[in-house]
Amino acid sequence: MKHSFLDKYGHLNSPLHRIDARIKLLSAFAFILIIVSEPRGVLFPFIYYSMVIAVLVRVSNVPGRFILSRCLIVSPFILLAAVFYPLSSMITGDFGGLPAYQAEYRIALSIILKAFSAVIILTLLVSTDKFHNLLQGLRKLRMPRLLGIISALMYRYIFILTDEALKTRMARESRTPGKLNINKFKVYGNQSAMIFIRSMDRSQIIYNSMLSKGFTGEFPGMQKTAISGRDVAFFIFFISILLVIRLTNTGQFCFNI
Amino acid sequence: MHISDGILDTGIVMAANVVSVGVIYLTGRNVKPEEIPKIGMTGAALFVASLIHFPMAGTSLHLGLFGIAGIILGKRAFPAIFTAILFQALIFQHGGLVTVGINSLNMGAGAYAAWLIWRTEALPEYLRSALAGFVGIIIPALLMSLEFQLSGYGRGIFYLFSIYIFAALIEGAVSFSAVRFFRKVKPELLI
Repeated sequence: MKHSFLDKYGHLNSPLHRIDARIKLLSAFAFILIIVSEPRGVLFPFIYYSMVIAVLVRVSNVPGRFILSRCLIVSPFILLAAVFYPLSSMITGDFGGLPAYQAEYRIALSIILKAFSAVIILTLLVSTDKFHNLLQGLRKLRMPRLLGIISALMYRYIFILTDEALKTRMARESRTPGKLNINKFKVYGNQSAMIFIRSMDRSQIIYNSMLSKGFTGEFPGMQKTAISGRDVAFFIFFISILLVIRLTNTGQFCFNI
Repeated sequence: MHISDGILDTGIVMAANVVSVGVIYLTGRNVKPEEIPKIGMTGAALFVASLIHFPMAGTSLHLGLFGIAGIILGKRAFPAIFTAILFQALIFQHGGLVTVGINSLNMGAGAYAAWLIWRTEALPEYLRSALAGFVGIIIPALLMSLEFQLSGYGRGIFYLFSIYIFAALIEGAVSFSAVRFFRKVKPELLI
């Protein structure tokens, strides 16, 4: 079965796709961290960050329409959080006058820019590699062993369970059409319990088969490949650019933003 | 319910990441081999449960099942929740990469509170199951409100999060129904 929500564009071939998953994970984490650590209300550096993001999107060959759709999906949560920044003080009567109001709107805008930049970076991360490569990358980066095993198991079951969830959802919708009522909660409960029970049964069978094949919690198939010099050079270059943007205010004196 | 990157104060988010590493260590210590598939699959079920949406006030909410995770896994719920939230951030961009720690701590606290209620044997099982589902949502919502306020949002943010009371009531009803189903079909799952 194929679910398009998972690494839909991971098979493409681009310079970003060819970079080691570990480097991509570290770069994405560093990029997001640098962006979110910008002081609130500071808007100017986002001109540079958006240029970097635009270059990455162009180089990745991931369709802009796909990235936009991902942004649209999460936009209600981000916009709600941003709008509530100035609104929450007004609701409780803590309104500090027009200057404070303007400053709060500036902060709200910076929240929107930070959050959407992070969403695009995450979308690019998961669209420029196979998902199992990213998980392997996390394990190679010394993710705690237990999380490594859990993530490996989860990855194997998500497809099967998603199919189960979609089938049970269809069955539920056909049994309880119309408005939300108390009977529906019973069906939601039974549906959730059924997903748990099926997942437990399947997990036990698969885990036992993994044990019978000699699984000890290690991943012998995981090649200990060294990171290439080209990837390291990319990482240093990329982070240097971001740090220059973050630590300097190049060009800000020309514009009052 | 997942907090995206860039919404909260970075200091709080990074402190939560450090704390979550400690919590993973504490809750993942001495895991028996037979517990591993249960933890892994609860994580997968949490991930998949987020695909079950129900209509609410013109929009839709999805199930969290953190209360049920607490009932089934106890303190082992945290590693499962952490991994599920990491997957949701990577696959759907629900939440963020840097906020995985704080989101996991919020949801994990809900699951832990649910486990504590579930272990209170003075209460009848139907009440414990419903309360476990309720606190599995309301505790994360309260923690989120607190984190938003610590990040500079006004006190009005508590009004916004009050809508989670309805989601928590629904989750309580779902949890009650799910535990009844478990008791009938697979009672060994209930620790």
